[in-house]
Amino acid sequence: MEAKSKKAGASRLCCLCNLRRPVLKRPKTLQQICRECFYEVFEEEIHQVIVQNRLFKSGERVAIGASGGKDSTVLAYVLSELNRRHNYGLDLFLLSIDEGITGYRDDSLETVKRNEVQYGLPLQIVSYKDLYGWTMDDIVKMIGLKNNCTFCGVFRRQALDRGAALLKVDKLVTGHNADDIAETVLLNILRGDIARLSRCTSITTGEDGPIPRCKPFKYTYEKEIIFYTYAYFKKLDYFSTECIYSPNAYRGFAREFIKDLERIRPRAILDIIKSGEDFRIATTTKMPEQGTCERCGYISSQKWCKACVLLEGLNRGLPKMGIGRPRGVNGDHKMETKKPGSVAKSIESKQCGSLDF
Amino acid sequence: MACNSSGCESGCYDREKDNGSKISVEDVVAGGGNQESVCVKCKCNEPMTFGDGGSEDGKFCAECFRNNVFGKFRLAVTSHAMITPSDNVLVAFSGGSSSRVALQFVHELQIKALKNYEASRDRSLPVFGVGVAFVDETAAFPALSTEMVDAIEWIRSTVSSLSPPAKDVYVVPVESVFGSDSLEARDRLVKLLDSVPDDTGKEDLLLHLKMLSLQKVASENGYNRLVVGSCTSRIASHVLSATVKGRGYSLSADIQHVDARWKVPIVLPLRDCVRLEITRLCHLDGLKTVELACRSQCGINDLVSSFVALLQEENPSRECTIVRTAAKLTPFYFNKIPETDDSNVPMATQRRLKRFNLKYDGSMTTEAFCPICNGPLNRSDSSDLDTFEEGQEADVLYAACCSSCRFQILPEDGSSLEQFSSFLPDHMISQVKHQKVDSQAHLREKIKDCLLLDDEEVV
Amino acid sequence: MQLTLEFGGGLELLCDSVKIHKVNINFPNESDILTMKDLLSWVRTNLIKERPEMFMKGDTVRPGVLVLVNDCDWELSGQLDTTLEDKDVIVFISTLHGG
Repeated sequence: MEAKSKKAGASRLCCLCNLRRPVLKRPKTLQQICRECFYEVFEEEIHQVIVQNRLFKSGERVAIGASGGKDSTVLAYVLSELNRRHNYGLDLFLLSIDEGITGYRDDSLETVKRNEVQYGLPLQIVSYKDLYGWTMDDIVKMIGLKNNCTFCGVFRRQALDRGAALLKVDKLVTGHNADDIAETVLLNILRGDIARLSRCTSITTGEDGPIPRCKPFKYTYEKEIIFYTYAYFKKLDYFSTECIYSPNAYRGFAREFIKDLERIRPRAILDIIKSGEDFRIATTTKMPEQGTCERCGYISSQKWCKACVLLEGLNRGLPKMGIGRPRGVNGDHKMETKKPGSVAKSIESKQCGSLDF
Repeated sequence: MACNSSGCESGCYDREKDNGSKISVEDVVAGGGNQESVCVKCKCNEPMTFGDGGSEDGKFCAECFRNNVFGKFRLAVTSHAMITPSDNVLVAFSGGSSSRVALQFVHELQIKALKNYEASRDRSLPVFGVGVAFVDETAAFPALSTEMVDAIEWIRSTVSSLSPPAKDVYVVPVESVFGSDSLEARDRLVKLLDSVPDDTGKEDLLLHLKMLSLQKVASENGYNRLVVGSCTSRIASHVLSATVKGRGYSLSADIQHVDARWKVPIVLPLRDCVRLEITRLCHLDGLKTVELACRSQCGINDLVSSFVALLQEENPSRECTIVRTAAKLTPFYFNKIPETDDSNVPMATQRRLKRFNLKYDGSMTTEAFCPICNGPLNRSDSSDLDTFEEGQEADVLYAACCSSCRFQILPEDGSSLEQFSSFLPDHMISQVKHQKVDSQAHLREKIKDCLLLDDEEVV
Repeated sequence: MQLTLEFGGGLELLCDSVKIHKVNINFPNESDILTMKDLLSWVRTNLIKERPEMFMKGDTVRPGVLVLVNDCDWELSGQLDTTLEDKDVIVFISTLHGG
């Protein structure tokens, strides 16, 4: 009696090799597969995504946005494995941002430093302190907990580009997984952001900007990433604590909804991404003209880039400056572009409450 | 966030803000009197307090509140030429609050038209006709048969108690789309639903069959418009559930004011009214409703509804924002009343129409539709139709469906699929054959596209 | 019976930031088996110190919590009906925290 239910599970064999005991039910296919087959299909699927979407060219220098979290940790490992196995011919680097959040980022950076050694990938850390003269701790001290995510998001986006420039890389890859992208699709619907909705499902964004970004985990379930982390490393050598400055209830709703959906219908996550790709969005939506910031030279549609506006506010003791919609403040140049995906400002779906970029 | 842009159709935020500032002005003038005691719009009547915890409670007097809701309805009707004098409209009435309000408003519009007709000297503009239809779902929910009988009784008396002109009531069994022999039809319906393994898929299929029966009764009785009372809240849920089911492509077809892909065009005059307004109005006007507990409590649709309710609690204008986002998607060519009707539209309406002109995808005036849900098909989905060139009818059906119906409605294995297709209403099957011809043309285009792709060296 | 419970992905914060718990659990009343369902209610009463809603929803784990019984996805062993044996290792990992 006691062993029955367990044996019932164990007596069936892996759907793929038909040899070993299955250890995982794949959310994508509902197949029951064994550990060995799981590693194989997990890595192979990511390889296929890379090949089919032509994410890289031989000889390219690629930075992996590394936060110490599970997604970027697995991404760094899998990408360096695949690079070796399939001779991509890529030079890989780890790129981390130090926002200056005590007890959160300093701990997670330790994880990234371990990864540097484990995978033999050169690590570049760029800090808010060095780039902007302000840590997030300083900023929160000044402006409080409201709007601090705006600062963090704007600064991070630019910091990543600057770090990528320091490394002279051609591309930046981030660890956004299928659950993240599905969540971003929903959030963009909930807040009425049609421009972001049109590009948040693109696997590569910012192709006309300084550094294109891509998401090799676009179709990879979070559940499998976690399972991979756990099964492979046997211990969870990644960092997992919510950012102490982002109590974002509204985002939490969407996350929980996705998980509720996954329980009823695991396929729903990929279906949301499919919907995001299929939405009929007019291709002639007005996109801001890309110029450069007069102050720092970063790409910007306005006279000053968003980071410089925010920074100026901080330095002058007027932190409200630059928050909200800058209607006509900076001069309004607009033009028609044809591709909705061709915008440098890529969506930062994980801009708060999370460690990945 | 939320409804703070000027684009919000119900104008909830703007109005709130405007009125907010007006209150304070009033207060100063009145020497700081009780701001709750006067309607923020007309500034003379006592405001209504519903005590439902919703936003704007205690702001408007009964008349202003009513005028506001009716105004949104009338604007939707006139600006999209939903109802014109020569029309014969059928109101889909489920007994719920939204369709009850839709019926009431259409009725009021008709009374006004009648008054105008009687007052005018030449009597050139006829008064549009109104009928009411209720879909009897007893066949799908045998447990509800007694409630259904009561509901039908109640609906008949509700409609007959409306003032003249008299309205015909049609009670149409949902199985009627399967044929005229009611026993056989009922049997086919039950077997069809039973062969759908997924609960949500079953629910959606039944909803579609309901629409087909409404279409049937409308076209058989000479109606040229079908009024459906879907409100903003309902549509917001549809936006999310369609997204979750991977129906992103066809979504924009479902949420417009007008949907003329059907034989009898469907119009949604309450699209810009939220449920809270609808229930308040029912309360205010003493409109009685009857809700039949037909819905399951475990599927995707239910999960989405509770998610929307949660979001709405956090921000009262969230439903508006969701619908507003979806409204920015490009509609289809059939999301307007067909142009042949234009001669019947009075000049005033035509002028209005221009202001509300939607951007249509002009390049494409033909669409292929899923034979199960009637959703327009994304060409990339129907590409594998060619592999079933010589296939069984069931295989062809599979290939002709949208990916969402394939997953949640069609049975997985071959023999059950064969059975499933034999239960389907005949006209769905005939649509499949039509589809196939269409897809072969697409295939040729696709091949051309592939030949043009350059072979860059990539990893 | 002896069990090893491991909490990860932020769930350890709900039980005094201790990741690994070696516990001894008695069979529920008049029964000679212990299921995951029994274990969950035991964990809820005895280990979770704060915000139990981050761990459980209804009588099962909150969606987004991955459960492994001896390194095997509990969806394969019958979820709540999984019967546990002496020396089993049960891992709970939350995916709700950031990546």
